[in-house]
Amino acid sequence: TTVSASSAADAHGVALRDEQRARSLLRERFLRSLLAMCGRPVRFSMYEKVQVEAKFGASDIDVLNFQVSDLQTPIGVQKEALLRCPDIITYNFEI
Amino acid sequence: MNPWRQKMPLEWQRYVNNEVKVVADEKRQYQGWVYTVDPVSASIVLVNPQEDGRAHVTVVMGHAVEKVELLQDGGEEIAQRLSSLFSPDGVQTVSR
Repeated sequence: TTVSASSAADAHGVALRDEQRARSLLRERFLRSLLAMCGRPVRFSMYEKVQVEAKFGASDIDVLNFQVSDLQTPIGVQKEALLRCPDIITYNFEI
Repeated sequence: MNPWRQKMPLEWQRYVNNEVKVVADEKRQYQGWVYTVDPVSASIVLVNPQEDGRAHVTVVMGHAVEKVELLQDGGEEIAQRLSSLFSPDGVQTVSR
């Protein structure tokens, strides 16, 4: 009936709103964590046991690349670099 | 795509302010309090507060997450501490 259809639509609307609220809270917090990392030394653990350290600069919106400075690699220091996020397992820093 | 990345925001939100153990690729293990899970990349931001008021932050990339185990609920105190760590100076969180 029309009544049950509209109440189903209402329930869907409520569920969607709750989901969007959770999504925005989680995303805002993640963006704050990126902000907190700007200009700080960050250690990146990559695949194949590769560890590098660099000063964090920025991330693109999809978290696919990190822009870093003074990247310390086993073959020397790279002044500016982009790290491909799919190559990273974890990264850590102090605040 | 791994099961962790396929979760919905409300499922990820249940982990926020709780202590977890994360198993990641190459058998790496991490433990800490969940500040957030990025809904775009599914990356988990783990915080380990230090005694001097500072904190050690470890982010496990969503694509590398193999397993997440809930250990304990952090309660209001941890919730406050986590949110104040990342808030700009002078900003106070009054609601969650």
